Amino acid sequence: MDVSAIDYYANHGGSFLHRASAPSKLVFAGLLIASVVVTGTFYFLLGAYITLAALVFRTGLPAFKVITFAAYPAIFALIFAAAGWNGNWIGAGVIVLKALAAALASVIVIVTTPYPDVFASLRPFLPKIIAEGLFLTYRSLFLLLDLLDNLLKALRVRGGISRGKIVRNVVNFSSGIGLLLVRGLDISEKFYGVMRVRGYNGKLSDGYDRAGSPLCDAGAVLTGAVILALALVMRYEPGLESLGIYFVYAAVLALALSAAWGLYPKREAEAWKKS
Amino acid sequence: MSHIHIPDGVLPIWIVAAGWLVTALLLALSIRRVNSVDVKRKLPLIGIVSALMIAGMTLEIVPIAYHINLSIIAGILLGPALAFISVFIVDLIISMFGHGGITVVGLNTIVIGAEAVLGYYLFQFLRAVMAGRGVGWSSALAAILSLFLSTSIMLGIVYVSHINPAVALHTEETVHDEDGGAAVDMEAHGSLDFGRFVKTIFLLAPLGWALEAAVTGLVVSYLYRVRPDLVAPEKT
Repeated sequence: MDVSAIDYYANHGGSFLHRASAPSKLVFAGLLIASVVVTGTFYFLLGAYITLAALVFRTGLPAFKVITFAAYPAIFALIFAAAGWNGNWIGAGVIVLKALAAALASVIVIVTTPYPDVFASLRPFLPKIIAEGLFLTYRSLFLLLDLLDNLLKALRVRGGISRGKIVRNVVNFSSGIGLLLVRGLDISEKFYGVMRVRGYNGKLSDGYDRAGSPLCDAGAVLTGAVILALALVMRYEPGLESLGIYFVYAAVLALALSAAWGLYPKREAEAWKKS
Repeated sequence: MSHIHIPDGVLPIWIVAAGWLVTALLLALSIRRVNSVDVKRKLPLIGIVSALMIAGMTLEIVPIAYHINLSIIAGILLGPALAFISVFIVDLIISMFGHGGITVVGLNTIVIGAEAVLGYYLFQFLRAVMAGRGVGWSSALAAILSLFLSTSIMLGIVYVSHINPAVALHTEETVHDEDGGAAVDMEAHGSLDFGRFVKTIFLLAPLGWALEAAVTGLVVSYLYRVRPDLVAPEKT
């Protein structure tokens, strides 16, 4: 998981999803996840996943990298699908697509929204210690990944990690984690000291204050609402289940157009690189 | 393997809701308990330990589908209440990265939180019992026992929820062929073979437990040498 890249994408994009507010994107992801929960139709899930992939292309971010971030749960979904395998690929496909679609919806929010905005919009619903803990954990993650990167380089350079020597590698790696923890704690204690000097009294921010474009907000929420409505219709109106395959066709068309938009005019696709 | 990597929409809604409810109650209890200590001072520690857990969870060992959780280390360093809060924070963040479903955050917090809380108490117990063996062995053994118990809790959840692909697919539904007309009966899908699922988990998991126990033992041992104050925190 490349947290630095995710943070960079979230802060440097110019697409309509980047311009939408965090709450509207959280609603979008919530509606998408709700549609994944209520449906069990393979073609609908495939259509939803391709639609989300089209949205990724539309953001102008490196689409394959973003889609790969969200492909991680597929490993575990495959294990679960294998446990129920009876030779029918559709059942396995539904399990894997549910995992992929829900993950991609969440990842789209994370790669298009700076994390303080995401956490700030969750703040009203969370106890203070958890809200502050979310900010500090995410902040610490950057510190830690930097330290981890240096540690791994140092271990390799000094022969601490070598092929075929599993026991020695585990011992050295574990000592490395211990060192990382001690250094991380030192940094966070200094961080705490600095916060206290600057008047920290248990509250890091005043909450969400970044407004999005109303049109982009509406676009995000509407996209989620339309997909959920389609899922509900296909679930409860048996005669309309054939919509699934047309949804796939429409999603493929959207994907082709989004890919062309992202690749040819190079408007938003370049925006995050130039900044 | 104790982490529930079941996608959104596969578990029945009642068990997902129950997971959130129990987690909310346990969080309320934990927050009430930590109010007696200087929480502001503990926040940076929660941040760094949670970040370490996230880093561990993203290092996937693909052949055995395992990642280290470092939750026992979190339990030992933070104490049970703060560790449970830390686990919730970790689960919430990683679910945003698509790692584990958003709807199963409650259940995941129970499973991994149990790991951290059990890890803490088992470590304290084993440390007292195995006084001559050093903290490394106590923490490694605590890790194996906690992981076994949390994996059993996870399997219990899977068993109680009667998960099967037919439930996930809503058995009354049909899938149409490419003409959008003829339907394929979804009831033909088999249900999850729980025995096979348990065998798969217990075949792969011990390798991960051994690795996690080794890492936990070595890290705690290292910390005890360098910062012994961290290994014996106030009971939060």
